[in-house]
Amino acid sequence: MKIFNIILIFILYFNVYPSFSSNDFNLVPIKVSNNVFVFVGANEDINNKNGGAISNTGFIIGDDSILVIDAGPSYIYASNVIEIIKSFSDLPIKYLVVTHHHADHSFGISRYLEMDVEIIMAPAELKRYLKYGNRSLKQLRDLIGEEWFLDTKINSFQYKEKKYPVSLNLGNRNILIELYEKGHSDGDLIIKDKISSTLFVGDLVFSGRAPTIPHANINNWKNYIDLISKKNWNYLIPGHGNIIKNKDELLPTKNWITFIDKTAKEASISGISALEIFNEGLPDFIKEYKLAKETWYRDLPILINKYEFD
Amino acid sequence: MYWEKFLIKYILFICVFIYSGVTLSGPFSDFKAGAELSEELSSSPTAKRNTPNSDSLVQSIDALNPKNSSVWRELQDNLLGNDANVLFVDDIKLIMQDYIEEAHKVPLIVTLPKRLHNFKNFILIIENNPIQQAMSIRPYRLIESLGMNIRLEDDSPVRAAVQGDNGIWYVGSKMAFVASVGGCSTPACDPSVEVCETGTIGKIAIKQYEREAGAERIKLKVTHPMETGFVTDLQGEIIPEYFVKNIHVDDNKGAIADITTFAALSSDPVILLDLPKKGQSVRVHVKDSLGLEFFSYDSNTM
Repeated sequence: MKIFNIILIFILYFNVYPSFSSNDFNLVPIKVSNNVFVFVGANEDINNKNGGAISNTGFIIGDDSILVIDAGPSYIYASNVIEIIKSFSDLPIKYLVVTHHHADHSFGISRYLEMDVEIIMAPAELKRYLKYGNRSLKQLRDLIGEEWFLDTKINSFQYKEKKYPVSLNLGNRNILIELYEKGHSDGDLIIKDKISSTLFVGDLVFSGRAPTIPHANINNWKNYIDLISKKNWNYLIPGHGNIIKNKDELLPTKNWITFIDKTAKEASISGISALEIFNEGLPDFIKEYKLAKETWYRDLPILINKYEFD
Repeated sequence: MYWEKFLIKYILFICVFIYSGVTLSGPFSDFKAGAELSEELSSSPTAKRNTPNSDSLVQSIDALNPKNSSVWRELQDNLLGNDANVLFVDDIKLIMQDYIEEAHKVPLIVTLPKRLHNFKNFILIIENNPIQQAMSIRPYRLIESLGMNIRLEDDSPVRAAVQGDNGIWYVGSKMAFVASVGGCSTPACDPSVEVCETGTIGKIAIKQYEREAGAERIKLKVTHPMETGFVTDLQGEIIPEYFVKNIHVDDNKGAIADITTFAALSSDPVILLDLPKKGQSVRVHVKDSLGLEFFSYDSNTM
């Protein structure tokens, strides 16, 4: 009997295994509220196991159409997402909102361009996507392997000028999109689903990990977090990490950016180099964050440079 | 009991064997440069294939040992002199990250022990670069530590050779691993895929910071492409080498240092100098490989 079981396990293993070993994202949408879903990204740096799928992708289903929030890191990822959405609803995907230009949120755009989808993105961020996209794509290919980025391209596309805030109707479902300029990036979009009172805030909020700051204006960003905190919402979907229901959970993002900004400003005034700060070891404050070390090493020199020769 | 005795004998034998190997082994037998890696390298899981891990420590101790280097002997003869007296030491500290994401611009700080503050010559050597010498400095004053940003073509030992006033060259070493190769041979900005921004060539920025007990830190930045001559443009033509050759630094008390630079420094090179005494109105005079001169001050009033 035991031997039979073992044989069975082996047979199952070898039959199932190929689907794990290919570049699959194993996406499972989490239900936020009725007809509001989110794919929560891996809480890691981009690596050759997660294929860059480290940020959250959401979708909202109305009576007539569907809106998707963020395109994800690649063509393949976006294809997987679209397939799963189809299994939920036959309605057409009418809108894709890209919260900002960073690769893990925008590189799936090329997949949506093959469909009749209107892409909504802040003009400043579209510019950055086109300007730096191919460079980051090349770096990502080098980093985690070409196979993750088959068919992923950086294309320009027909873009309709918008006046923010933008109101959309998915069919008995009103959506409001607001623009937050020069905060975490040059133009972050926040998407509100009114029925469920769900707010998709992109990378203005990170949950469960250290926030990244390469294109941030930290002063504005802090104010935006306060603004978001004052709004009414039941569910808040951060750019990275789990669904937030409690306003206290916005604090770690704010505390981190305050701390790294203060450290960089002090360093630029006293002439201390990032290297010398690293040499002292990680400050206790940041140790409680996931991906603290990686983010600290990557972001602090960028920020000090920015302040140093201003 | 028998096994214990055997074990002790065995350990003793191994110790003696290793010891004799160290003491009897050729010109670099004095090699003891700290190959210590920071917590970052020994613990950080990164995305790179062949990720640095705890094995990297062994690997790096190995790579740092000049006996194992196929290029060091020649480099030493060429740069430090055929009959140079060379000592590998661990009190010249090279502070840089172990694992480097952006190999076009790698910050590095070298701190010197007190006995070498009056050094005569300083050469920074990157073994596995196509341009192996990044810079050299001839100082006119005491210098406590210095910094620069460099290019790394590949994983490489980085060595700071410092000549004391006794004529002996003291060498401190550090191993650096890069995420993607090509700090010298690939464009930092790739015009085939992006719009590049270039600053005004020859713009000089100087910053002076006060340190403890009247000491000072000088940071200077020269806007310059520092072309290596190994990068090709969109048409496949080689972009000719074009770099800053000389940086002369002085203040109201006279000359501070003469710095000879090469394209193994990154574009828009930054130089950092820690002096024990603060001076006033630091000035910089730069010459590049096309013979252009740049001044941080009005050169006509000289």
